[in-house]
Amino acid sequence: MEAGSPVDDQAKALFGRTIFEIRGAYKHFGGAIALNYADFTLKSGEIHALLGENGAGKSTLLKVLAGVHTLEAGTIALDGKTFIQGSPRMAMLQGVTVIYQEPSLFPDLTLTENVYIGRQLRSKTGINWAEMKSQTKSLFEELGVNLEPSRLARGLSIADQQVVEIAKALSLDARIILMDEPTAALTKSEVNRLMLVMRRLQEKGKSVVFVSHRLDEVFAICDQITVMRDGATVAQAKVSDTSINEVIKWMVGRELKDLFPKMESTIGEVVLEVEGLSSTSEFADITLNVRRGEIVALAGLVGSGRSEVARAIFGIDPYDSGTVKLKGKILPGGKPAVSVESGLALVPEDRRQQGLFMTASVSRNIAMEMLNKLARSGLISQRSEHSLTQEWGKKLQIKYPNPKAPVDQLSGGNQQKTVLAKWFATNPDVLIVDEPTRGIDVQTKAEFHRQLSQAAASGKAILMISSELPEVLGMADRIYVMHEGRLVKELSRQEATQELIMTSATGQGGGA
Amino acid sequence: MSQKIPSLQSDNFKLKSKELVRSRESGILLVLILVSVATTLINPRFISGYGLSDLLLNTAMIGCLAVGLTPVVIARHIDLSIASATGFSAFLTAHIIVGQGWGVIPAFFVGACVGAVIGAVNGVLIAGLRLPSLVVTLGTLYIIRGIDYQFANNKQFTAEKLPTELVDLAQDKIFGVPILFCLVLLLALFGVWWMKFTRFGRDLYTIGSNPQAAEIVGIKVFSRTLFAFVWCGTLAGIAGVMYLSIYAIVDSSAFLNQELIVVTAVVIGGVNIFGGVGTIVGALLGAVLLRVLIGALVALGVAQFWQQAINGLLLLIAIGIDRFLSRRSETKIERIRAEKKVQTP
Amino acid sequence: MRFNLAKLTSQERRFRPLTWDVIIIVLLVVLLITGSLINPAFLTAFNFSLMLPNIGEILLIAMPMTLLIIAGEIDLSVASIVGLSGVIFGLTYQNGLNVWIAALLGVIVGVLCGAVNGILVARIGLGSLAVTIATLALYRGFATAAMGNKSVTDFPESWTNFGYSTIGDTFLPQTYPIIILFVLIFGVLTHLSIFGRRTFAIGQNVEAARFAAISVLNHKIVLFMLTGAMSGVAGVIYVLRISTAQYDNAMGLELSVIATALLGGVSIFGGVGTIWGVAAAAVLFGSLEALFNLQAISPNIFTIVTGSLLIGSVMIPLLLGRINFMRIERARMSKSEEGQL
Repeated sequence: MEAGSPVDDQAKALFGRTIFEIRGAYKHFGGAIALNYADFTLKSGEIHALLGENGAGKSTLLKVLAGVHTLEAGTIALDGKTFIQGSPRMAMLQGVTVIYQEPSLFPDLTLTENVYIGRQLRSKTGINWAEMKSQTKSLFEELGVNLEPSRLARGLSIADQQVVEIAKALSLDARIILMDEPTAALTKSEVNRLMLVMRRLQEKGKSVVFVSHRLDEVFAICDQITVMRDGATVAQAKVSDTSINEVIKWMVGRELKDLFPKMESTIGEVVLEVEGLSSTSEFADITLNVRRGEIVALAGLVGSGRSEVARAIFGIDPYDSGTVKLKGKILPGGKPAVSVESGLALVPEDRRQQGLFMTASVSRNIAMEMLNKLARSGLISQRSEHSLTQEWGKKLQIKYPNPKAPVDQLSGGNQQKTVLAKWFATNPDVLIVDEPTRGIDVQTKAEFHRQLSQAAASGKAILMISSELPEVLGMADRIYVMHEGRLVKELSRQEATQELIMTSATGQGGGA
Repeated sequence: MSQKIPSLQSDNFKLKSKELVRSRESGILLVLILVSVATTLINPRFISGYGLSDLLLNTAMIGCLAVGLTPVVIARHIDLSIASATGFSAFLTAHIIVGQGWGVIPAFFVGACVGAVIGAVNGVLIAGLRLPSLVVTLGTLYIIRGIDYQFANNKQFTAEKLPTELVDLAQDKIFGVPILFCLVLLLALFGVWWMKFTRFGRDLYTIGSNPQAAEIVGIKVFSRTLFAFVWCGTLAGIAGVMYLSIYAIVDSSAFLNQELIVVTAVVIGGVNIFGGVGTIVGALLGAVLLRVLIGALVALGVAQFWQQAINGLLLLIAIGIDRFLSRRSETKIERIRAEKKVQTP
Repeated sequence: MRFNLAKLTSQERRFRPLTWDVIIIVLLVVLLITGSLINPAFLTAFNFSLMLPNIGEILLIAMPMTLLIIAGEIDLSVASIVGLSGVIFGLTYQNGLNVWIAALLGVIVGVLCGAVNGILVARIGLGSLAVTIATLALYRGFATAAMGNKSVTDFPESWTNFGYSTIGDTFLPQTYPIIILFVLIFGVLTHLSIFGRRTFAIGQNVEAARFAAISVLNHKIVLFMLTGAMSGVAGVIYVLRISTAQYDNAMGLELSVIATALLGGVSIFGGVGTIWGVAAAAVLFGSLEALFNLQAISPNIFTIVTGSLLIGSVMIPLLLGRINFMRIERARMSKSEEGQL
């Protein structure tokens, strides 16, 4: 199978054996179906990529294998035997290790100790540091990386943390190593190193499954791919039998239902003007603009730097160079309060951690940005707050038991509506929304799109960050595509297609 | 296929853990030596045989408490009740052994038990019921103080009442080092072995570094945390018996309000208040440094009044250095996570 | 299902049928009633005139401390600020400064100490627990160094009268109108003002507070300065009450202040707390102590009760919440999974 692998009976047992067999996997969360009778087959000694857009189900499938979720229907066989689901610890004991996008090592402990966490090697007199260190050193050498076992994990780059996690997996005799978007935050050279490490793992007969968006990497390193779409498996193929273009078609090849009609609106003058915005190691030379009545989409893969750009424009993160102009006036960087005053709003990516105060009431959350307006001589008027909540609750059709109910009792869709209400209430000129309909059921999605359309029609300028291609194509008047921190393409509504966007987002297409 | 993969920039970042820790401990040692030398030059009586052993004797109690508190702080908790535990143990032990004709070993045993019980109460509430340690130990501080005063009821034990061998113990020396300090060294030695060479001790570092992840990895957080508090209480109890020996007099006000000095000593010694960092040796050195500085100030004729201010300043410097070092090597994600960390354990 | 401490607490807070500050107010009422039944002298003007001054400074400082703990920080140096302000007040007055100006200087010193705390914590990013343990020693050290073993006692009689006597024949100490005014101001500030709303926001989720365009840095510094200011005021009042300014004024007071706040239902994790709960806790403290005095119960029992109440204030809500949580958990199994999406 692989050039250079030893060909003897023992080795034959290492490779090509079916290790994981998933049939008919079904799982739903609340109203949304995450896995729709998906299939998946993994062989030993295989580097296997799980592909698909956002929400296609690949992360959920991975988490099922990692023991985080359980299937409602379907079977999983591990090496012929039933795989015990539902517990990360059980998964580990069965030889499955998972490495997440942001691995969390223990920063105050050494790499050696992180590899041997909870099971430090002992001799008669106590922990055998020397032995642990040398074992870790040889693990690192086996993986072919140059890391110092005695250094603290604090400050380690994500790439290095992944390697440590892989070493830990090896040390635990893992047979299957799952990785969730491992290369999203890595530089080119770090990606190359990871690929070499994966080869080493393969040589040892381990199987690697990784979720990724980066097709050129996938085609460089993988043997097998599985493409998922809308929770189901649409293709399983050998890498050598297919091409990137075909994969893209599989990923996005759905009929575009006309769920997201953007209403007609008169496009006015430029309200948001970003020029040459750069922040070292996050994004470089971002120049874009948004006009009244427009919905401009910022498309790209996870990790391409779009949220960072949004945060920099809004003022939460500082930037190194460039200017942001709102209605012609330059916005000082790093001052969100000034941005809000001037008419800018940002609906953040993570509604639970960034957008809402989960233990606070619905009305408190909605009123958060309007405190100055609701107050008379510094004191907040309960009545005004109440009527504001009612007003926006009705406008956005937010379902809540009562205005004082803590917002974490609401469903995801209603929570997101609350965030939207909070910012709509400030009547901004420019609204930046970051993944506005992520994790929300289809019906509420459509409502959201109607609201955003209406907002644009009423004269607002909307910058929408989204990884969902149907949403982008349906809603946007113009589309900017980002790839690894740079703007690589600008498309108009007419010329844009899913393939075009995906191609630019994965770095395949030419310049803008 | 077996070629070495070229190292990336980050691989060359040489912040070895041993280096950092050793640098803190050797830093304190260096300061200690510098201060001692400088003071002796000005006042030769400072380092004379009598002066040095007297210093070590005075350090025995704080040192004992610092060794006791360290595992707790490493596990990202705090124990504000140690000082009251010490005072209470001193008084209760005196009460129990006086008139019984008991000697030194039983006295220490009794003291240790008193402390262990207090530690266990703290531990069960904090580790078992998952109550915040700041609040709980503040509560037990009050409760113990109340029980102590009530119990003591204006009684007082003086030298004649206490067993002579206990009182004389403060004078005994081995190779010039007071035996009480040797006791502390012994405890510290055990502590070092425990924290560095047992899984139990390493679990405490793990818990302190990331409590949620520690739980996920399968570490027995409850038993580890419970024992850390029992250890802390036990050593506070032992320190109480040391008090009896050194001061030969005890009433209810023994060792009042000293809890924060121990925390100061421990943090100066490199034990990070956010957990996961620090060593017993460092904490002990921190305690010694504080004492030496006080002694140095006295020997230099500096008004005693500046002592507290200098304590505070030292602590600020220590915290500042810790922060600076960790900021320098932190990644952005770690910084965001650190901010979200609950401010008090 | 393993419980995670931080996650459990915030979820439980939601399910607590009864919040602790309500419990404390009920306990206070119960105490006042049973106290008067046990001892008719309990609710007399005389008893109150003795009890209230004792808790005056605690009440004053507990107000901004409540806001500070709600924001997720803490200040252990307040007692030292009280001492230092008193020392500055005494020394400047002794050196000929007008008594009004001397008092003002004392308060200003408090504000400055608070500002230093705030800058160290918010700007430089050091943890507030460790920092204020350090400034506790630092400020007390300054007070000690400035005053030494001496003390200042010859304050104007009208001022010392203000410090410890009552208004005419009533039970209300002369300092209390100011104290009550401050309590009301802080009540409004915490629960009705924009500033208070933002404080709660910072305590509940500091990252979301940033995304809500709140300047967390400045806000925290202001909180520390408020705490320092009130400590300065308390420092002056304390000096007047005992007619003495010396270096060890109010030693150990920080524990009482923090205990009062915690007992009043302020959560050490931040984001939760009420001013009325804290005020009730302070009055409860004082009344309990007074009752014990009347009944000749040893003050040590009082200390034990304080400690137990403190532990109870975190234990009981947790247990109540856990019971309720488990009941509701079963009914909402699927919803909680969605939260993991």
